[in-house]
Amino acid sequence: MHKKCNSIGKQFTRQWELQTVSLLGIGYLVLFSYIPMLGIILAFKSYKISSGIGGIFSSKWVGLKYFQEFVTDYKFCELLRNTLVLSSLKLVLAFPVPILLAILISECKHKVFKRVIQTCSYMPNFISWILVSGIAAVLFSETSGVINQLLVKGGLTSKGIPFLTAPGYFWGMSVFLSIWKSSGWWAIIFLAAISGIDSTLYEAAKVDGAGRLQRIWYITLPGIRSSVVTVLILSIGSFLGGGMVGSNFEQSFLMGNAVNNATSEIIQTYAFKMGMSEGRFSYATAVDFIQSLVSITLVIISNRIAKHFNEEGLF
Amino acid sequence: MKRLSEDTLVDAVVMLLLLIVGILTLYPFYYTIVCSFSDGIDLLKGGVYLWPRKFTLANYHLFLTDADWIHAFLVSVLRTVVGTTCCVSCTALFSYALSRRNLLFRNTYRFMVVFTMYFSGGLIPFYILLKNLGLLNSFGVYIIPAMLNTFFVITGMNFFSSIPESMLESARIDGARELQIFRKIVFPVSKPFIATLSLFVAVGQWNSWLDSAYYVRDRELQTLSYKMMMIINQSISSAANSEVAGQISEANSATNFTIQSTAMVISMLPIMLVYPFLQKYFVQGMMIGAVKE
Repeated sequence: MHKKCNSIGKQFTRQWELQTVSLLGIGYLVLFSYIPMLGIILAFKSYKISSGIGGIFSSKWVGLKYFQEFVTDYKFCELLRNTLVLSSLKLVLAFPVPILLAILISECKHKVFKRVIQTCSYMPNFISWILVSGIAAVLFSETSGVINQLLVKGGLTSKGIPFLTAPGYFWGMSVFLSIWKSSGWWAIIFLAAISGIDSTLYEAAKVDGAGRLQRIWYITLPGIRSSVVTVLILSIGSFLGGGMVGSNFEQSFLMGNAVNNATSEIIQTYAFKMGMSEGRFSYATAVDFIQSLVSITLVIISNRIAKHFNEEGLF
Repeated sequence: MKRLSEDTLVDAVVMLLLLIVGILTLYPFYYTIVCSFSDGIDLLKGGVYLWPRKFTLANYHLFLTDADWIHAFLVSVLRTVVGTTCCVSCTALFSYALSRRNLLFRNTYRFMVVFTMYFSGGLIPFYILLKNLGLLNSFGVYIIPAMLNTFFVITGMNFFSSIPESMLESARIDGARELQIFRKIVFPVSKPFIATLSLFVAVGQWNSWLDSAYYVRDRELQTLSYKMMMIINQSISSAANSEVAGQISEANSATNFTIQSTAMVISMLPIMLVYPFLQKYFVQGMMIGAVKE
C-alpha cells in the first residue's frame, strides 16, 4: 500500500507541469462554476444582496416558499406555455431545415454556385442576436420596413402589419429568425455526413435504374441517419433553451417588449428580470433552478435514448 | 429519356431553391447596407428596395465623428483581442493537459469539466460571485469569467488525443519541458482546432452584450453591441408607438433608423472580413467536435 502511494506520488511529481495546468483549470472551474452551484441554496432562503456572500449562509431558511410563489403566480401558466410552445415549434420546424438544405447543396452540380450558396448560408450564424433583431427591425418595421412597404404596395394589406410588436406574430417571427440564423451552420454536419457516403452506392443504384429522388430517399437519407439522431438528441437535451438553434433567452429578451409580452416572456427572461431588475434574488434563483432541473432531466433522458439506439452517448 | 427529364427537373428545382435560400440569406444584409448609405428622410418616404435613392455618406460621417460610438467600438475591439488571447491560450493548454492519457486523476478532471456543461448555478449566484470578487463594473468582467470555454475543452481533448504520443515522447527524450512541447510541437499541428476556437471565442466576445448591459454601469466600459441594443430598442419602441419611426436629428438628415443600420454594418464588418479566411479551418474544426474517435 505504501509502495503504491509512493509510486503515484512519483508519477505525480514527474508530470508536475501537466498537473499544475490541470489543477489551475479545475480550480478556475470550481470558482466560476461549482461555487455558484452552491448558491442554489439561495432559492430556499430569504436573501438580500446587501448581506454579501456571508448572507448566503446566515440568511433565514424559508423552505419551498419561493417555488410555491412561482407556481401560483398569475403569470405562471403563460410563462410555461410560451416556453414550451417556442421550444416545441423550434424543435419541430427548425430541425428538418438544415437536413433539407444539406441535401439541396449536395445535389447541386454547379460547383461555384454551390460554394457561394454554402458560404452565404452560414454567415448569419456569426452575427449576434442583437444584429438579427436589428435586421428584423429594418425589414419588418411597421411603418418603414421593406416587407410592409411591399405588402401595402402589392395591395395585400391596407396598412403595415405590426410583425415586431403584436403578440400574435412573436412565435412565428422567433421561429423564422432562428431558422434563418442557424440552418446553414447545422447543415455543415449533415453535409459532412453526406460526403461520407460511399459513392459506389449511388453508381450501383443508378445502374439499377433508380432516379434522383429515389437515390436521395434510399441512399442519402439512410446514410445520414446517425448524424440526424445525434443532432436530434442534442436538441432534445437543450429543448428548453430552444434546441440546436438555442436562442430562446436572447430572442425573448431582445425582441420581447411591453406590447408582445403575453407571448414573448419565457421562464428564463422572467427569472432574469425578477433578479436583475427587481432585485428579488431568492425568487429568481428558485425560478432558474426549476428550469435547470427540467433541463438536466431532459439531458439524462436523451442520453439514455441515445444509448438505446446504439449511438454513442454524450457522456 | 424519362431518366433524363427527371434529372434536369431535379437540377432545376435544386438550383431554384438554392437561389431562394441565397436571396433570403443575403438580402437582409444587403438591405441593411443600402439603408446605411441612404439619406434618412428620403428613406422614410419608402420605395427604397435595391439601392439608395439618395446616396449619402452622412451616416458614416456621423458615426465616425461621434466620440461615444468610437469609444464603444474601441472597447469592443479591446475586449475581443484580450479576451480571445486569454481564452484561446488557457482553453488550449488545459485541454491539452487533460488529453494526455497517462495524466493522473484524468477521469475525475474530465468529469468535472463535463458536469459544468450540463448544470450551472444559474444567473443570480453567478452575479453575487462577480460582485464579491469585485469584478462588477470593471473591464475584467469581460475577460476573467470567460477564460475557459468548456465546450472547446472537450473538443480539444478529442483533437489533441489524436496526436501520436511517440511524437511527444521523442521531444521529451530530447529534454523538452512540457510547455515547450506544447508551444513548439502541439500548437503548430493543431491549426484547425486553434482557428475554430479563436473564431468562436472572438465572435462570442465581439457579439456579447449581456455583460455590458448588466455587469457594468460605467459608460466608459460600454461595448458596441450594447449601444446598438439601446438604439434598436429605441427604434422598435418608437415604431410601437406608431409615431414616425425615426427621430430626425438636427442639422442633418440622418435618422435613428439609418444610424442604427450604419452601426450594424460597422459591427458586422470585422466578422465578415475575417471569416472567409478561416472558413476552411472551422468546417474541419467543427467536425472534430461532431465526430468522435
